[in-house]
Amino acid sequence: MIIQNFNHKMAAHCESGTITSLLNHAGLDITEPLVFGIASGIFFGYFHSMKSFAFPTFIVRNKPGRMRVNIEKRLGIRFSTMDFRDAARGKQALDELIERNVPTAAQVDFFYMDYVPSWERVHINVHYLVVIGKEGNRYIISDAYFPKIVELEEASMEKGRFAGGSMSPKGFIFHVDKLPGEIDYRKAIMKGIDKACFSMLKIPIPFLGVKGIRTFAKKIVDWPKFARDTEHLSHEIMKINILLEDQGTGGAGFRFMYATFLQQAADMVGKPGLKELSGELMKIGDGWREISLFSARIGKNRDLGPDKLKQLSDMIYDRADVEERFFRSLSLAIK
Amino acid sequence: MKENEGFVDYPEQQMILYVEKDDGKYGPMQTGSYLSANYMDDYVYKRRNLEMELREQLISGAISPVKYYMVLEDLSLSELAARAGVRKSKVRKHLDPKQFGIVTADELSRYARVFNIPVANLLQVVLVNVNGSFESNLILENKAGNISVDHASTKNPYVALTQIEERK
Repeated sequence: MIIQNFNHKMAAHCESGTITSLLNHAGLDITEPLVFGIASGIFFGYFHSMKSFAFPTFIVRNKPGRMRVNIEKRLGIRFSTMDFRDAARGKQALDELIERNVPTAAQVDFFYMDYVPSWERVHINVHYLVVIGKEGNRYIISDAYFPKIVELEEASMEKGRFAGGSMSPKGFIFHVDKLPGEIDYRKAIMKGIDKACFSMLKIPIPFLGVKGIRTFAKKIVDWPKFARDTEHLSHEIMKINILLEDQGTGGAGFRFMYATFLQQAADMVGKPGLKELSGELMKIGDGWREISLFSARIGKNRDLGPDKLKQLSDMIYDRADVEERFFRSLSLAIK
Repeated sequence: MKENEGFVDYPEQQMILYVEKDDGKYGPMQTGSYLSANYMDDYVYKRRNLEMELREQLISGAISPVKYYMVLEDLSLSELAARAGVRKSKVRKHLDPKQFGIVTADELSRYARVFNIPVANLLQVVLVNVNGSFESNLILENKAGNISVDHASTKNPYVALTQIEERK
């Protein structure tokens, strides 16, 4: 069976896309950029420790799972959430919800999603998708990264839902329980922006927010020390492009989507200044995109000497400076 | 970014990009991946080289099968240990080809589950002859010209059914 009237739509990001499609199905007319912005999705974090990651890396959004929690709090929506120790119970709960025609979001390790082309598959425990049906032993999936509805075998779903490791999904699923009668969008948008500015400017940890962008710029020149060989370094440098563009960001490490949020929010909160700032962020995003393209180019050409890494580092420092100014202005604009 | 600047024609990997439309409004546009459209050949080249290099080390006894898959799947030692539910100190031993022999069948099946491969593949490398040279079926992804190699799991967690057939 397949849940009728579920409108499958591609989205820039799996978590904001999943939340948006569940809310749309429940009857709330809201866009992905609004979900992302209200949930304070924009962020930056640089992780140099080789404990959890096989190589230094960075993130450009807030902590996985936080978007749902923030949306719930700020819009007054109630999600029903469940996690499981036992895979059989987790499967049973998911199957029962599907039987009851409830589109249900699941957290999975992306690596086990067989419908994903192999070159895209990586072990990452925080991929979200919506289960919208089941035929025999195959789940029917609405995955925001795919143009069409896809199918996934029970066994692969179980591996994905119960993968161990950091941020292990533990079979986590959620669905919309209740929408509020009325939503104070103004308050939610202001809170979302305020928290995003705080995260980018004021967290007193050197690898988070704008400070994190500077740490990234400082440390990238050391990346050759961690690489097995030139091809490995080339792969990791080209991954900068993947993390900023291809891994569900809407382009430029979420900066384009956040600019869209600010443009939409400007009218909703009656602050035309946000429109101007959205244009500014779009330009900042263009700079991030230059970093993406530059990384891909030097990686492909194996042109990874100290001068090129220094050039890349300078480009990243520049993004830190413009983002610091931008988030200061944004913070003032909502006062 | 303007709409016409962002579009990439690459149906194999579609994504959503937020762009500036003609009317000045920002919104989503479905497009292809720039990186995959322009650099896929380089990715495949590097991946193939990495597999060949690791396979040489594996066959010569310089690394263990666990290390081979751990590097190929880009996992750190801590992450692999947490995912497999095997103590880090043990994983460290299993990475060493001289100590790999202490691994138990249960631990092998835990690793195989993480790597998403049949247990048997931790003790063998499946190569397929393509145009006169042998290549890893892992890299070929079972898309080699006229030979199909399918590993199916069975109810016995330690046994996989490997079926090799000529493609029609």
